[in-house]
Amino acid sequence: MRSQHPVFFITIVCIALIVKGCGGTTQVLSEESFPELLAPSRAFYAVIIFTPEFSNYVARPSSKTSLSIGSAQENIMRKTFSALFDTVDFFDSEEKIEQAPDIIIHPSVVESQIAVPSQNYLNVYEIWIKYNLKLTDVEGNLIDNWFMPVYGKTSDSFMLQKEKAIGSATRAALRDIGAKLSLDFYRIPSVERHLREKSGRS
Amino acid sequence: MPLVINCILIFILTACNTTTTIDEYRSFDEGVTVSSEETIALLGRRDAGHYETDDEFVACVGDKLRSLSLNVLPERRLIDALYPWLEPRTAPKGLLRMRQLIQEPLINKAITERGIRFLIWLDGSTETLDRNGSISCAAGPGGAGCFGFATWDKASVYEAIVWDLSDVSEVARVRVDSEGTSYLIGAIAPIPLLTPVKSDACKGLSSQLEAIFN
Repeated sequence: MRSQHPVFFITIVCIALIVKGCGGTTQVLSEESFPELLAPSRAFYAVIIFTPEFSNYVARPSSKTSLSIGSAQENIMRKTFSALFDTVDFFDSEEKIEQAPDIIIHPSVVESQIAVPSQNYLNVYEIWIKYNLKLTDVEGNLIDNWFMPVYGKTSDSFMLQKEKAIGSATRAALRDIGAKLSLDFYRIPSVERHLREKSGRS
Repeated sequence: MPLVINCILIFILTACNTTTTIDEYRSFDEGVTVSSEETIALLGRRDAGHYETDDEFVACVGDKLRSLSLNVLPERRLIDALYPWLEPRTAPKGLLRMRQLIQEPLINKAITERGIRFLIWLDGSTETLDRNGSISCAAGPGGAGCFGFATWDKASVYEAIVWDLSDVSEVARVRVDSEGTSYLIGAIAPIPLLTPVKSDACKGLSSQLEAIFN
């Protein structure tokens, strides 16, 4: 067999890398730790149900992108709800609830979207994650289904690897959970009404 | 051959020019005295839809101020310390909202514990305005190379607004505009001649801030 010139192999490797870079799947693993929230807690007892599906959630905002955000979204929600309520318990199913809480919160992901520079004509990557917080009382009566969209973008995609840029935008979107809940959770009219009734009874 | 090298060197030395313009507004003429117990915090604006003040620029201004022996709190530490009140969704856009925030006992405590007296908002971006020329690269079994000539103009526009958190007032406002042209020459190997537009904007803005804090 005739020996090949080393440049030939280098060229093949370069072409393979370019083809991989253009057509590959971006996987973002977000295992971030988040800071503690500065938010005044209220004297209520809440139970948060993190189902295994939520805790291991992998978002697929496009056919080429998957975001493993399950543990990171659980982490930030744990911190947020711990700051918003005086007493909080976290379970993976409702059957494990022992004491009667004032409110039960079931978070789930409805959908996720991504926008890349070739779509938005900007040098930024953007991520939207839409959550649904199903809020029930201890008897299982629905208080509300509250849809909570969160958003994050990178500062600049120039010279950033696509994976890093999407990871950065995802982290920003997950941090937005804390901001959105701190601002709006107690402003949800049905929650405000329900908790007012609870505090009136006690 | 030495002639070619000389030509390239002359080109490098003369071509990459940057123009920096500084507009300054201060609410009073005297500088501000910062004691050794007081800290300056820097924060980039990130609420605009089409751009974000990049971390790199904020860190550059922070490093310049730190070199004057001022206590400067890194941006990330400030954002984490006051989380979630300095996120793009929640960050105060004006003094009125800042006054409301600072009245919250938890936020006030976090600011006081860190000795933060001045908050500098940095807002702006560096954009590519115009591109001309083209450069193409090719690779084959016999070798690889780039040929052509490309230029692009970049402009940096940044504004710094200084808030005094002791009485929640605006102390000063400084703006810097910086423009420059960069070149890329393809002569087998690509030779970039980059104009440090953002770096010049950082230097310009930092020198104005240095004049404010004495």
